[in-house]
Amino acid sequence: MKFQLTLAARYLSGRKLRTFLTTLAIVIGVMIIFGMGIYLPSFMDAFNKSLLSASGQTDVMITLKTGEAFSASSTLNRIKRIKGIETIAGSLERTINLPPDFYGKDSPVSALTLTGVDPSVAPKLHDYRLTQGRFLERGDGKVAVISERLADEIGLHVDDTLKLPTPEGVVKLTIVGLVPGRTLIGNEQVLVTLTEAQKLFDMSGRISVIEANLTSQDEAERDAIINTIKTQLGDTYAFGGLTSGSEFAGAMQLGQVVFNMFGVFALAMGGFIIFNTFRTIVAERRNDIGMLRAVGASRKTILSLVLTEGLVQGIVGTAIGLGLGYLLGVAMIAGAGSITKSLMNIEMEVVVEPLLIVVSITLGVGVTLFASLLPAWNASRVTPMEVLRPSSGQVIQHISRLATIVGVVMIGMAIAGLLTGVFAFVALGGVMFLIGLVLVAPALVKPIANIFGALLAMIFARGGTSLLAEGNLTRQPARAAITASATMIGLAIIVGAGGMMFSTVGTVMDMFGKSMGSDFLLIPPSVAVWKGDVGASATLKARINAVPGVGVVSSLRYAQSTLPPSAQTGSKGETVVSVLGINPVEFPQISSMDFRQGNAQDAFNALAANDRNVIVNGILATAANLNVGDVIPLVTPTGIKNYRIVAIGGEVLSMKINTAYISQASMKSDFRKSEDIFYQVNLAPGADPSTVEQRLSKVVENYPQFRLVAGHDYTAEFRQQYNAIFGGFYVLLALLAFPSLIAILNTLAIGVIERTREIGMLRAIGATRRQVWKTIVAEALLLASLGTAFGIFAGLYLSYVFVQGMSASGIFKVAYTFPLAGVLAAIAVGLLFGVLAALLPARQAASMEIVQALRYE
Amino acid sequence: MSLIQAENLTKVYGTGNTAVVALDHVQLTVNPGDFVAVMGPSGCGKSTLLHLLGGLDRPTEGAVSIDGQALAAMSDDAVTELRRRKIGFVFQFFNLIPILTSIENASLPLLLDGKNAADIKQKAVELLTKVGLGQRLDSRPNQLSAGQQQRVAIARALITEPILVLADEPTGNLDTRSSDEIVDLLKQVAKAWGRAVVMVTHDPRIAAYADRIIFLKDGKIVNDAHLEAKRTDNAEMVSHMMRTIA
Repeated sequence: MKFQLTLAARYLSGRKLRTFLTTLAIVIGVMIIFGMGIYLPSFMDAFNKSLLSASGQTDVMITLKTGEAFSASSTLNRIKRIKGIETIAGSLERTINLPPDFYGKDSPVSALTLTGVDPSVAPKLHDYRLTQGRFLERGDGKVAVISERLADEIGLHVDDTLKLPTPEGVVKLTIVGLVPGRTLIGNEQVLVTLTEAQKLFDMSGRISVIEANLTSQDEAERDAIINTIKTQLGDTYAFGGLTSGSEFAGAMQLGQVVFNMFGVFALAMGGFIIFNTFRTIVAERRNDIGMLRAVGASRKTILSLVLTEGLVQGIVGTAIGLGLGYLLGVAMIAGAGSITKSLMNIEMEVVVEPLLIVVSITLGVGVTLFASLLPAWNASRVTPMEVLRPSSGQVIQHISRLATIVGVVMIGMAIAGLLTGVFAFVALGGVMFLIGLVLVAPALVKPIANIFGALLAMIFARGGTSLLAEGNLTRQPARAAITASATMIGLAIIVGAGGMMFSTVGTVMDMFGKSMGSDFLLIPPSVAVWKGDVGASATLKARINAVPGVGVVSSLRYAQSTLPPSAQTGSKGETVVSVLGINPVEFPQISSMDFRQGNAQDAFNALAANDRNVIVNGILATAANLNVGDVIPLVTPTGIKNYRIVAIGGEVLSMKINTAYISQASMKSDFRKSEDIFYQVNLAPGADPSTVEQRLSKVVENYPQFRLVAGHDYTAEFRQQYNAIFGGFYVLLALLAFPSLIAILNTLAIGVIERTREIGMLRAIGATRRQVWKTIVAEALLLASLGTAFGIFAGLYLSYVFVQGMSASGIFKVAYTFPLAGVLAAIAVGLLFGVLAALLPARQAASMEIVQALRYE
Repeated sequence: MSLIQAENLTKVYGTGNTAVVALDHVQLTVNPGDFVAVMGPSGCGKSTLLHLLGGLDRPTEGAVSIDGQALAAMSDDAVTELRRRKIGFVFQFFNLIPILTSIENASLPLLLDGKNAADIKQKAVELLTKVGLGQRLDSRPNQLSAGQQQRVAIARALITEPILVLADEPTGNLDTRSSDEIVDLLKQVAKAWGRAVVMVTHDPRIAAYADRIIFLKDGKIVNDAHLEAKRTDNAEMVSHMMRTIA
């Protein structure tokens, strides 16, 4: 084995550029899979941490399944006398997303958990271990006990004042004691008395968590006690920790699938390139291999020699890919950090799952080994005769008819899959289309080469060189096709992703313009994932309405709910739903929705009629198989309530999340929520925007949880963020096309090696060096044209698949935009690569000494 | 017992109308210490004979035994092993691996055989010194002259201490001086080390070093001549024979 390793290492280091470019293909594939694999779970982890604030340190923890607050009297009083409960208490817990720099510039605190506890019972349930000051006492007002870490981070001590944003504006609490920082995940805690918390959030008589310790340690007895509690409370309550963010997790998982697909494409391209490179290597070394066989190397030795080389490249490429992937993940977390922080108030930490490492290594090394398998086998078939009497290469390669037929069938099935509109078929079709194209490619080489050859003859390679180039290419259609396939995959991804990006951005910006087209917006720290946002009471809306120059004000309210498991959809778990409360009169004046079923007028009228009517968005309708007229049971703090669907539609804020729109009146009666978390303001006719803006900023001064922005500024900001995300993504994809350079280079190199004598003959009968050079460059341009043509074709299909897939998966409906820029970029990149790849082999061929070339065997 | 025993050795390339008989019922024996030159016009079957003797190709008819082992009865792996351990090859174009040094190139057959690395190195150094390359042990092929490269190839052929060395136009690519040195070296291999050497050559001057010349024409042995010790006379005689045969 040492011998194989030595030879492999020498061969690899002997051709540094080729080794570098070939390895690069693997590096990029592994980098994408690993980097994205780090980024997305890190994001989810951060997301969960920021929302999972309640932690089960007690024997029993009860919350409403939706996570909303509920009435203390109807729950706590009903169960506190159950036998076996030692201590029980209700608390009101609420995540508070803080506006940026709320505690001074660069403060690391972006969110807090405010917990209202019963001072006499809470210390029996939790060991608070005060480090300074005192604990809360019954009758305490605006005082708080906070964690030491929080105090450190914002530079406060006992007896100092802590500011907090609340629906009634900023309140100041006096710190009376410090407790150690929490050891479990989640935000730092601010403890106040339950009464005070209820007052701060206008939630009199309400709690969000019941915690209890039981008398018994026996499992069976404890289960019995918990079952008794369950029977008492009914099935709208959850036991154990809170689950959160599941609605968003689905969307993120889809993102991961898309990225993994890119990674797999990148690796597939890497596989093609390695395959191509190893074929070149074997062709170049036929003589060496023949000699080794002559002096006694067995077939197995030759096989293992080539495989070892593949293995070394696979391992090195994978190792570098892992390193760069890690950096990519970290860079994305750092880069996207500001966006996720501003949009969702999430701070991320790097998370690397062990499984991800295993998968990345398996794929990276596996693809390389797999790709070098066939060339290695071919190498082992080289006879020792080769060294004594080299056989001339096969003159014309035959096209496998079976492969062509299978390819055509696969393309047909892919198109059929696309027409079904079912996400799984559409996605599968994308992969089948690419494989089909790779299989059909050899048969297409000749006709396409003819077309481009004629074109080339006119503009570049006159005097028969184009004819020679075309002939050279078409006599090895399978090799040309493999090369073209590698280029194709690289470019298809550019065009495909370009199409997806343009379509998505176009659609989102269009929706954004419609939904966020108001003159001014009041935005909470986290848009779209509303759970931790602190809103304002009706007072603020009244004050905004009173500002001279303000025309219409529309606000959103938020509550979380679930749909119970349903036989209709076959869903076993509960579906988490974001419920948004709108004012059906004001909302349509300022914003608009895209309706898939029903229409605006009837829908908003129905909501205004004050019955339990609901508009559900596309994702929810798809996920739960809902239609207009269906009645859905929504879990609310006041029990399960049946809502009738009056329309299916949505807007940009509900783009990615299961959402139900109800009237603010229903939200108040069923969800007990009257806090506004988002405002849109339109000017009165003729009002001066800057004067009104000044007045508005005065009004919201005491509500730092909101940011006042002009509608068009927010749209521009949003567009910028979107472009930043996609821009980086695009650069990453462009990198993918880079290794295809080596594919073209390799094919040309084999051609030159195999045709050494032919080239010598051409030179002998009078071809100039320039003509030889031109022949090779023309061949490269033809190859690149082939790859580019396939790539654009496949890319357009892929982008269409992405868009269809997006719509079919029910995420949101995307209108297809033709990726003209992507196509132009692909043509430019493809042709440029063709010329670049040709330079070296062309020079080699042109500078050949005639006599030596003629003697070459 | 003879070292090489070839009986009725026949090789036909192609079939039907396009069939070409490269070797036609050749009988040949070679003993240890023999230095045999194979001569004849282009296409007479010289190289084919060498390939069949070395187990690189299989005959259409007839049989070859090397050291008592019938090649026809052996598997590809067994023939490969036989080549590795008992036969040394020297080629016209040297066929050294460009990325390996002289020592490494010379060591190849033993490396392939999985022998101890330190022993192999010592042996390679010894052999390379013997063939006059003691100063160029770490040079790569492109740093050596053609004659030096062929010496490395001879060292590679000898490192397994083969009983038979097969050389296909070993001086075909060398100048006169290097040619003489190389063929002298091969003669030494046969005479001083007691190996059998079979060498294909076009050059009567080179063939004259051998102690036996086999002339082939149209795939048949037309003359099997044992030469006198005096080389200059031999060269003239060989040229004369070649002219007669042609």
